[in-house]
Amino acid sequence: MKKNKGFIICFTLPCVLTLLIMYLYPVIRTVVMSFFGIESVTADFSDWTFNGVDNYLRLFGSATYIRAMQNMLLIWVIGGIATLSIGLLFAVILTSGIRFKKFFRAAIYLPNVISAVALATMWIQYVYNQDYGMLTRILGFFGITGINWLGTDLKFWAMLIAFVFGAVGYYMLIFISGIERIPSDLYEAATIDGANKVQQFASITLPLLKSIFKTNITFWSVNCITFFLWSRMFSSVSTEASTVVPVVYLYDVVFGTKGNVQRDAGAGAAIGVTLAIFVALVYFITNRLIKDDDLEF
Amino acid sequence: MSKKEKVKYKEKINWKKEVSLLPGYVIVLIWIVFTAAFLIWILGASLSTTKEIFSGAVFKFESGFHWENYANAWVGNDVASYFMNSLLYSVVSCTCVILISAPAAYVLSRFTFLGNKPIKTSLILAMSIPEVMIIMPIYALTAELHIRGRILLILLYIFIRVPFTTTYLLNFFASLSRSYEEAAAIDGCTPAKTFWKIMLPLVQPAIITVTIFNFLSVWNEFFMALIFASSTDTMPVGVGLLQIVNSMRYTGDYGGLFAAVIIVFLPTFLLYIFLSEKIIAGVTGGGVKG
Repeated sequence: MKKNKGFIICFTLPCVLTLLIMYLYPVIRTVVMSFFGIESVTADFSDWTFNGVDNYLRLFGSATYIRAMQNMLLIWVIGGIATLSIGLLFAVILTSGIRFKKFFRAAIYLPNVISAVALATMWIQYVYNQDYGMLTRILGFFGITGINWLGTDLKFWAMLIAFVFGAVGYYMLIFISGIERIPSDLYEAATIDGANKVQQFASITLPLLKSIFKTNITFWSVNCITFFLWSRMFSSVSTEASTVVPVVYLYDVVFGTKGNVQRDAGAGAAIGVTLAIFVALVYFITNRLIKDDDLEF
Repeated sequence: MSKKEKVKYKEKINWKKEVSLLPGYVIVLIWIVFTAAFLIWILGASLSTTKEIFSGAVFKFESGFHWENYANAWVGNDVASYFMNSLLYSVVSCTCVILISAPAAYVLSRFTFLGNKPIKTSLILAMSIPEVMIIMPIYALTAELHIRGRILLILLYIFIRVPFTTTYLLNFFASLSRSYEEAAAIDGCTPAKTFWKIMLPLVQPAIITVTIFNFLSVWNEFFMALIFASSTDTMPVGVGLLQIVNSMRYTGDYGGLFAAVIIVFLPTFLLYIFLSEKIIAGVTGGGVKG
């Protein structure tokens, strides 16, 4: 056993070092930073000035940040409902004994494997284009013209639709794996008792998917707080109020290159902490609300 | 033989059942036709001139196929450089991640020692920490140590994939039989040698799956690349494409833009065409905890 000691240390050390350097140290430092007034992210520790919860107060007093939080919550609630219900709908359809299931499943998941920058570019430059875009053409066929999808009013919703389109496939896969684990004799028994498909869905599928919902809601929340790329792509020149989200705000105050934004790494750290707390809260609440220990199958 | 089977199969179509599934077919098909339509249009546009794109004549190809769009994007828009950077980042980091994670996963799953449990828990915790919580200290630390350029992004991509890779491999090592190690020990093989020669090759399928995921993740990564790849020479495809889109306002070369989009998305798309079953099985296997 003694001989093994050196071996165990050699094999785990790189992994443990990664955890310490890449995760433990940065997380602690970010939390500490959020309580200090720091201008530049590279500022020396001696330049930090302790100012308590000032960073947080300043953040929540900033109109842009409030707008960013509102946008994020909209994405979380409306985008979440849309993504999870479309994902569930597809999962139910694909497990209903449909042909070409594997092909359909692969095609719906496809947007998840291609570069999101490429995907966003396709939406912005093609689907939403006002001159030759797909939506403009389709709506033009029905006599509706002149809708500027990328104008200030509709931009947020255009972005949300594109984002949901790309996200659905992943949640669909998780739902499918959950549905496939439900024993088929439950459905057979229900059919014999005369329950129709809708009743079966409401009384068997939905209750037994509880823990899958919990997983999906947690993943979706993490996905929403790290929302950055789509916002950046939909307002690539400068940050706009219609699409701003917390991470974009953080990027601007910490790494921003434009002169008019005051550098504020302390506020950036406070944003990070706020977002992490948001996810932890969601996780805690869904765990409380959805208990799966009473299920056995 | 196969023809006969096909005929028999066709006879078994239960039309009543198919009709009841019709709404399902329609909904799924609308979604997929939409996806296909816009991918095919992008492909068509990448072979057309800007004028044709604007006049709506994308699929007529009246002036022939404009392959030069690809050449222009590849050379003129620096896509070649972005592409090579992404390739370098993904290949090097995918290899190094395995070198760090596989030994750790092996030891963590097959030996009991002080700290085993805490390390496993920390790995899972690390996976759920949002990037915004770690990005600022990493920026300060690497600036202080003067690590910059390509090596910086490679290091970050390696570190960021370690928790997922290690956790993913844990179960596969745990499921191997003890008798391999016992036999190796009797023959006088050291634990380290047993790992490299016997145990590692046994989990090859899991290593391939996790490497596909790591590759997709690194290839498509955007946030860290935007922050840490400050110069054009070190940019990977994601940030490079953003750069091209932004410069479009001045050049107006839409054919070249769509060609660049195709070049960026083709590698992962091709990978997916050949490996979709493996990727999908990996998503559902790794994503759902009992």
